[in-house]
Amino acid sequence: MELPVLNEKPAASGCSAGSCGSTDDQLNHLSDEIRAKVENHPCYSEDAHHYFARMHVAVAPACNIQCHYCNRKYDCANESRPGVVSELLTPDQAVKKTKAVAANIPQMTVLGIAGPGDPLANPERTFETFRRLSDEAPDIKLCVSTNGLALPQSVEELSKHNIDHVTITINCVDPEIGAKIYPWIFWNNRRIKGVKGAKILIEQQQKGLEMLVAKGILVKVNSVMIPGVNDKHLAEVSKIVKAKGAFLHNVMPLIAEAEHGTFYGVMGQRGPTPLELQALQDDCSGDMNMMRHCRQCRADAVGLLGEDRGDEFTMDKIEEMEIDYQAAMEKRKVIHEAIAEEMHSKRSAKADAHAQFAQEEKLQTRPVLMAVATSGQGLINVHFGHAKEFLIYEASPDGVRFISHRKTDQYCGGDSTCGEAESALQRTIRSLEGCETVLCSKIGYEPWDMLEQAGIIPNGEHAMEPIEQAVIAVYKEMAAAGKLEPSNELERASA
Amino acid sequence: MALKIIETCVNCYACEPLCPSKAIYEAKPHFKINPRKCTECEDDFPDAQCASICPIEGAIVDSLGAPLNPPGSLTGIPPERMAEVMAELQAH
Repeated sequence: MELPVLNEKPAASGCSAGSCGSTDDQLNHLSDEIRAKVENHPCYSEDAHHYFARMHVAVAPACNIQCHYCNRKYDCANESRPGVVSELLTPDQAVKKTKAVAANIPQMTVLGIAGPGDPLANPERTFETFRRLSDEAPDIKLCVSTNGLALPQSVEELSKHNIDHVTITINCVDPEIGAKIYPWIFWNNRRIKGVKGAKILIEQQQKGLEMLVAKGILVKVNSVMIPGVNDKHLAEVSKIVKAKGAFLHNVMPLIAEAEHGTFYGVMGQRGPTPLELQALQDDCSGDMNMMRHCRQCRADAVGLLGEDRGDEFTMDKIEEMEIDYQAAMEKRKVIHEAIAEEMHSKRSAKADAHAQFAQEEKLQTRPVLMAVATSGQGLINVHFGHAKEFLIYEASPDGVRFISHRKTDQYCGGDSTCGEAESALQRTIRSLEGCETVLCSKIGYEPWDMLEQAGIIPNGEHAMEPIEQAVIAVYKEMAAAGKLEPSNELERASA
Repeated sequence: MALKIIETCVNCYACEPLCPSKAIYEAKPHFKINPRKCTECEDDFPDAQCASICPIEGAIVDSLGAPLNPPGSLTGIPPERMAEVMAELQAH
């Protein structure tokens, strides 16, 4: 099957789909066939991630390469980043856990295997899990994420198991750059270091990508943005993987802290700022669909993106649950249909609001970034102090587009953590750099004052309203109040 | 002549399927090598397989106790730098 050529237009100039004034929805550029496949996949559809949940099962501990952003001494309950897990599962435990989560969180539609090592370096455990789940829980979508080294030899097996989505992490196509990211690979019974190892890895990734596309399996490409290492190179990576048929590119920021014990963390390599990341994503979006809502979750995450309910499903708790999966499947079907209906009605309401906005006299104002506190359903429904993350939207005369999410330190965590409340609040406010307003359901006096001092206007007037409509309303208010000087950006974008 | 896995092993399973002598087995608290079976891959491969995929520096040692992957050899982090950063973290 041949995948279609994707979005050719830069995102800044607006959405290319005729039905929509929105510039945020990456799915608009896809064929109907692909759209139907990813519509309820939280990791692929920005829309869906407000409603549907995913889970990872940590069955794959072994890895065949070393990345400089990874520390293989993974085992931490308090960290949320790829490669970290608390409890390694056997395939049998993974199947039990998946069914237990599916029965208790019916909006869970996707099961992924993402580590903590490389799933394809653990073929027996990974494929045993997939084999059993495609048999016993056929209503769950299966996906897998890999570094690509063992991909070519796994494509045949992958195509057998109901797996229609594969994510490959591709950080470079140049072995010289690769040598600065991957110190070694294990290949043909030898550890191969430096440029030579990186070259083999890159060849296998590209070959695997081509083979998957030829099989009609959807491929998403993840890239880690490492300032000074591959940041200038990723636009080229984006072009190449798009030309080969990847349907979505997800550029993620490097996570590097000294306490993680990774090469980059210890050597003081910094991650990109939110604005640097956004600029690169915008650069790449001229060439392909960009994904901007990735939460870089743990290899054992459970729940909606941005939340982790893994604690509710530890193996000792699961062993005590009695799961009737047939009954659960029937219940899930009803709930999925109801969610799909809600999603579609919200989507058309959103499109209507955008269409109306597009018909109004076009503003000549500059774009504005706004932060939103939400826990799902596409609504502004979280108290400022309870927000674990903010979603960032850009409002402009072209409409609203989703930009990214930013994690916070929750400053209002109850009695025990309030000792450090002030510094956590300050950190949260710093994480909102570049935003001019923050929309939430409620906000206390103290953060209100501090936000104002930081030049960010708190806004609790749109509680429980749909995000996009509220963002447009606030943008129009700001324009009417004369706060938005005309933009030069617009001329550039339409030139 | 046999290799040994020591307590810094993180139980990642990577070595176990590679051993040509089936000397490696899952155990608590970490994987172990049966010294009577281990040949250090002498007749099978140029490099010991377990030590060629092991991601943890120092976790596999030879019969004299010397690590096959000494500090810094896999991560590329110079040991002095690691010590400096760890001391800094502990001071906070």
